[in-house]
This record gives sequence, structure tokens and C-alpha cells, in this order.
Amino acid sequence: MTSHLLLSDVSKQFSHDQAPALDAVTLDVAAGSCTAILGPSGSGKSTILRVMAGLDPVSSGQVFVDGVDVGGLAPERRGMGMVFQRPLLFPHLSVLDNVAFADRVAGTGRAAGRRNAERYLEMVQLGGYGRRSVRELSGGQEQRVAIARALAARPRVLLLDEPFSALDPELRADMHRLIDEIRAAISPTIVLVTHDRDEASAVADHIAVLHEGELLQHDTVDAIYNRPRSLRVSRLMGGLNEVPGEVIGGAHVSAMGAVPLDDARRTPDGRATLVVRQEALAVRATDDVHPALPGVTEFAGVVAGIRHLGPRRLLTIALAGGAVELSAELPPGQAVGVGSPVGVTLPRAVVSTVPD
Amino acid sequence: MSIHASSLSAQPAPTPSGGLRLPGDPGTRLTDSRGARRAGRVLAATLLGAWFVAPLLPLALWAFADRWSFPSVLPTAWGTSGVESAIAQGAVPALWRSIALGLVVAAIATPLGAMAARALTLGTVRWPRIVGLILLAPVALPPFAAVMGLNVVLLRAYVPPLVGLVLVLVVIALPYTTFAMRVAYAAHDVRYEEEARTLGASPWRVLWLVHIPLVAPALARAAFLAFLVGWSDYVVTVIIGGGAVVSLPLVIASSAAGIGNDSTVAILSLAAVVPPLALLAVLAFAGRPRTHAQRVAFAEVHPGSHPIRVALARPHPAEPGAR
Repeated sequence: MTSHLLLSDVSKQFSHDQAPALDAVTLDVAAGSCTAILGPSGSGKSTILRVMAGLDPVSSGQVFVDGVDVGGLAPERRGMGMVFQRPLLFPHLSVLDNVAFADRVAGTGRAAGRRNAERYLEMVQLGGYGRRSVRELSGGQEQRVAIARALAARPRVLLLDEPFSALDPELRADMHRLIDEIRAAISPTIVLVTHDRDEASAVADHIAVLHEGELLQHDTVDAIYNRPRSLRVSRLMGGLNEVPGEVIGGAHVSAMGAVPLDDARRTPDGRATLVVRQEALAVRATDDVHPALPGVTEFAGVVAGIRHLGPRRLLTIALAGGAVELSAELPPGQAVGVGSPVGVTLPRAVVSTVPD
Repeated sequence: MSIHASSLSAQPAPTPSGGLRLPGDPGTRLTDSRGARRAGRVLAATLLGAWFVAPLLPLALWAFADRWSFPSVLPTAWGTSGVESAIAQGAVPALWRSIALGLVVAAIATPLGAMAARALTLGTVRWPRIVGLILLAPVALPPFAAVMGLNVVLLRAYVPPLVGLVLVLVVIALPYTTFAMRVAYAAHDVRYEEEARTLGASPWRVLWLVHIPLVAPALARAAFLAFLVGWSDYVVTVIIGGGAVVSLPLVIASSAAGIGNDSTVAILSLAAVVPPLALLAVLAFAGRPRTHAQRVAFAEVHPGSHPIRVALARPHPAEPGAR
């Protein structure tokens, strides 16, 4: 169940008069890892999964599993397990026979197939549900059975196509835990497609950002959030802060002032935009009794707007007389209002620049 | 291999309460009509029932009447001379021929209609509107005119009458099977089949293990319609068959053309009515959910039957025992 998957220069075009759904995508998924493919609607997320599974042929490029080109193989011979957004449990089969389907078509005896299926049902916490009709299950249970069915086929790579997007938040969190537990138990290689950034970071160890068929960045969760390779990635990951300026001698210089940069996070000297997550900014009311930490550069600003995000608040802070605006998330407890003077600190470890 | 997580208990889902009545359920105040409305509803249902039964009642009486003189309300002499006469006129072999003809037409027109419907629904056909209209044409054309023209073609092409008869009846049945299957394929999700492929099933096994079971009810309905085309045809059997196939409608027609054959015609007519009704009953009962779980499932795939009860039947994930 743990295989290395490589897409090499894969393109997919459905018709000549349309833009390609996938444009020369190269994606390397390490064995046993979980990669989330993230992107907005129409970015080619589902297409990339269908191409991996062999449900759609590639227009050009190759798909390798453990170094072997599987491009010419039919879906049933690729060893890719697929779980769609809808569970797609076969309604004419019981829960157990759904999970035993792969063994049945593989020619395994009925009793052995069912015994095996029972093990996978236990893995998804549904031991004892085998004799039920699939129509007796709740939405979450259906999706668990769908995952058990895909795992029971012992796939080389497990492909999940927005499998939890139809579930409510509580159930989705349960499913995320289930994926963690499955990974801990059998370490399958997983490729998960989602449009939900939180889901991607909760489940996967790597994120691949796809936009209009182009793979913008494939990196660890931390790097995707804090070291985006482009403004598009930053925006797709929900980043709100972009400060145009110039990189000069290890610092980003803008109307706001000079922000020191880590060597690993900066672009060569020249025009560049500074990006920093709104969650990473430290905001302090300047009339606070606690002064800024020594050695930390703090920028003075004024709160220009406040929007509530549940218990947190998203502040819009005007700096340099309004020449620069930064967004910062503020935890509950700090008494600031519109017009309050604040000090903003940009921690060096989370500031990076992208070339203009 | 099992995973233990305290947050993920797997208690069986609670069985939906069978005795609970909800607004919108049949028999509740929301749906139950009262007073004049109720009387109107009962009257309409009675008239509708009478509309269907009225033609069959005199047939049933005539079938076992040796004599029924006007103005008696009931037959004046009961007997089985009608049955004997019908058998003597070859009703039994004609009945078998009609059944065979209906089954052959259904066996050919159903898969053809299913294939056409699938192609039209999935968009794999160029100009689907035009193709759909062409498929509908046999219903729109006057059968006599079309059959007369076809007869000339078939005779010139040396097509044997029996083959020609089946061929033409299949063409007439195709619009019915195609459109019955189009409804099914419009609601069919091909990803079931894709899922089966990723689970290791070859296209052939997907067809038998997933595709056909999923569309089976629609296939049965389409086959029933195609059977009726073969079963009840008269014009095509007379003209294209050219006397090679004497089916039940032909025997009925020849008997009805005579005088004083009322009881024979009645028996033959009943014989023509019973098999389709029996098939319909089999279809209706075979498609009915038997267990409570099946009834819930049935309600789910037939929205509108018990929407609120179905929603309740699915335990909310946050409920204890839901997972």
C-alpha cells in the first residue's frame, strides 16, 4: 500500500479550443506520505486524480508508480484506490459485500473476502456493521465504509477526491482523525484533493497548490503557508499581507521601513513583495504596560478596521501614514478599537519575499 | 491492524421509530382531506377504479356465458363453450406464440434501448436531439403506412417473414425502451462504475456486478414495455408476418369478426389481458421494499414519500451511537 508516485510533465486537454485542464504538471509524492492537492474550483484538482487513477488518459506526460510507467494500464490494473466526494456504495450490496468487492472481483473466495472485509471495517470503527444495508448508514458512516472498501483493495496509492466536503465540521474532524489513524496503522501513500486549506493542513504533510491546471508549489505544510513561492500561492493559501518594496542587503525596504529577512526566505536583491501571514503578526497596544521585546523591530500603526472571526478579530492596521496596510489576527483579550495606536512586530522566522 | 480511538465509537445506529407520525405523513392532519374534499377524493378514486374495471366485468361474465339474452342483467345460461371454442380455434398455441414474440422483442429491444439511452445521456452521441427524434419516429408515424412501406423493402430484400416481423417490432419498441432507460440513466452516476474499476473490476465485471444491478428496475420497466409491443401487435404481424405467425391478437380479431362468438372473444380477450397484468404485478411486487431498512431506502430513492422520516432515520453524527 506504500508506493512512490510520480507525475512527470503531465498535461490534460479535453478539447483543442479549451485551455488545458492540466499543464505540464510534475508532482513527486513520496511513499507513505500524504499530499493534499489544493486549489479553487476548476483548477484541475479532480482531473489530476482521475489521471492518476487512469480514469482519464493523459494528453502528454507520464505517470510512474514505484518507477514503472502505468500510463498504458487500465484503472483496474493500476492499483489506485479512489474515494469520491459521494461514497458511491453499491446499494444492492450489504456493507460487508461492498468492502469485500475488490476481493470478489479478484477471485478470492467469498468467505475469505468477507473475513478480510471485516478487518477493514474494524479499521474504520465500523466492526459489526457488515450485515447492514448501506442505506442504513449515516453520511459519515458511508464515507468510512467507502474508505474501508478502497483500503480492502490494498491499493498502492489511495486517492481521495474531496471525500469529506459534504460532511459537517464535527464529522469532518472525526474523519481527519481517522485518516491519521490509518496512516499510523498501515502508512498508505495518500493523495487528497480538497479546496479546504484547513483540511489540507490537518490531514496532509505536503500540499500541492494547483491553479488553472498549473502546479504552483509543492512543499511541506509549513513552507506553503509561510514561504509561498509566489503571490498567487500566498493568496490561494489565504495570505492577506503583501507589501511591495525592494530587497537590499538582507532586508526588505518599503514605505513601512526595513524588515530584516532570513537568508533562506529572501529573494535576491531587487524589487520584491514581502508576504507574512496575518496569524503570525504580533500586535501590541502601544499604551500597554509591557514594552516591545528588546532587539525586535516594532512598527507603529493605527487600527483602521476590525472584523470578527469567531473569538478572534482581524485588524486592519494602517502604517506609515496609511501608505501600507497590514492585516493581523488578534486573540481575544486585548482591548483595541478602531483608531487605537498599536505596535506591529513581524517575526523574522515567518517573513518572506517573492519576486515581483 | 485495528485502530482504537475513544472519539470514534461504533455503536449500531438506532433503529428509526416505526410508530412515530410526523406532519406530512399519510393520515396526519396536514395531508388528510376532510369534509367535501374527502368526499370528492373518494368519488374520484371510485370513478377511476370503475373506469378500469368496467370493460373487464362484461368480459368476465361473457367468458362463462353460453347464452346472455337481452335484457337480462346476468347471463341466462352459464357454461364453458367459449373456452372450448377458443381452444378449438388455436388459442393456446397462439398464446404461446404471442408470449414468445413479446419475449424476443423485449430481449432485443431492451439492451438496444439501454445502449442508445446511455449513449444519449452521457453525451457520446453527436447531435443527440436529432438522434432522439429519429428514435421517437416509430411512435409518431402512422403504423399502417410505415409497415406497408417496410413490407415492400423486406420482400425485395428476401428477409424471412418471421425475422422481418421481429425486426419491425423491435424498431417500434425501441422508442419505449430508449426513453424508459433515458430516465434511469439521467439519474445514474457513472462514478459507481469508475469506483468499481479502481477496485479492480474489468469493464465486463463492472457491467454485471454494478451497472446492470443499478439500472435493473428501469431495465424491467423497459422490457415490460417492449414485451407489450410484441404481445399486443396486430398490424405488423398481419402485414409483415404474412400469416407465418398466428399470434393471439390475430385469433381474437378473426373471432371478433364473426357473429355469435361473444363468449369465445371474451375468453380470448381475457387471455390477452391476464399475462401483462401478471407481469405488471410481478414488477410491482419485486420492486417493493420488504424490510424496514429497505422501506427507508426506498423512501430515500423515491423522494417525497416520507422526507422527514428519512431524515430522522439517518442518525445525526453527533448523536450517541451514530458512529
